[in-house]
Amino acid sequence: MAEAENKIELDWDALEVGETFEKFEYLLTQEMIDTYRKGVMDSEASFPTIAHKVDVRQYNDRYTDAGSVNARCAFHCYNPPTAGKKLIVTAWIADKYLRRGKNYIVTEAVSVDEDGKLIDRVITHELKQPSEVGKKWGG
Amino acid sequence: MGRVIRNYEDGDDITPLVKKMTQEAINLFEGSSGHTGPSQFTDEAAAKEVLGTEGTLASGRMSLTFAIEMLRRHFGPEVFNHTGTVDLRFLRPVRPGDTVTFTGKVSGTTKEANGSRVSVDIEVTNQKGNTTGVGQGSAIVPNAFLPPEDL
Repeated sequence: MAEAENKIELDWDALEVGETFEKFEYLLTQEMIDTYRKGVMDSEASFPTIAHKVDVRQYNDRYTDAGSVNARCAFHCYNPPTAGKKLIVTAWIADKYLRRGKNYIVTEAVSVDEDGKLIDRVITHELKQPSEVGKKWGG
Repeated sequence: MGRVIRNYEDGDDITPLVKKMTQEAINLFEGSSGHTGPSQFTDEAAAKEVLGTEGTLASGRMSLTFAIEMLRRHFGPEVFNHTGTVDLRFLRPVRPGDTVTFTGKVSGTTKEANGSRVSVDIEVTNQKGNTTGVGQGSAIVPNAFLPPEDL
């Protein structure tokens, strides 16, 4: 597949903090919101964008790696998104660090809707050695 | 209807939120973005291959969502949905079948230009009493929501 062929194998040392990905757009539908609300068992859940993982989506479209585990995630609420509106996401590499010999990558993304309304900001710290989970918590 | 006047004191408990994690809930959460392929969250073989675990895990973003719900219920959607933050570290996996309890305690109040930021320490525990996540949350409460002595 051409998309897969265009991906770059992650070189953690070479990865540049500040690398900004191409903007990503998607249409938020009422069905997406309803499915999300069922999944989180909260009929008033207002930020279905969380499940879209938009901060790592662009990273995953650009790089291949061994996978990842979410170690930490921060979310800032600005305005709940509206069904039927297109959302535009800007995502970038916010940081990378080594802790106890493990590699982490921090991605950040800001979403606005088609009217320019600020929706949310998400910051995720991903451990790039996902098999550590199985080693520690495998059973 | 007038605004609700509230005091926020350090150490105040937030009403806990309890969630029963199921594979169906995980599948709905993951599928809500249109992603339907197998992943470590929805497929045991993928979880084994990527994580080396027996069985799937819930995304940390589900815990994040539940922490947001707890604080939204506490502060009210009109406040939290526009000024709220949650920052969670994930310490242990949450698996289908787990019951996770979210608790919070007010840890401080600081003045902001348009109100006061009320900070909350958050802890997530499973049915065994193990901590699966810790973090902080906050919301900026408009001055109109605070008693005059707190302004």
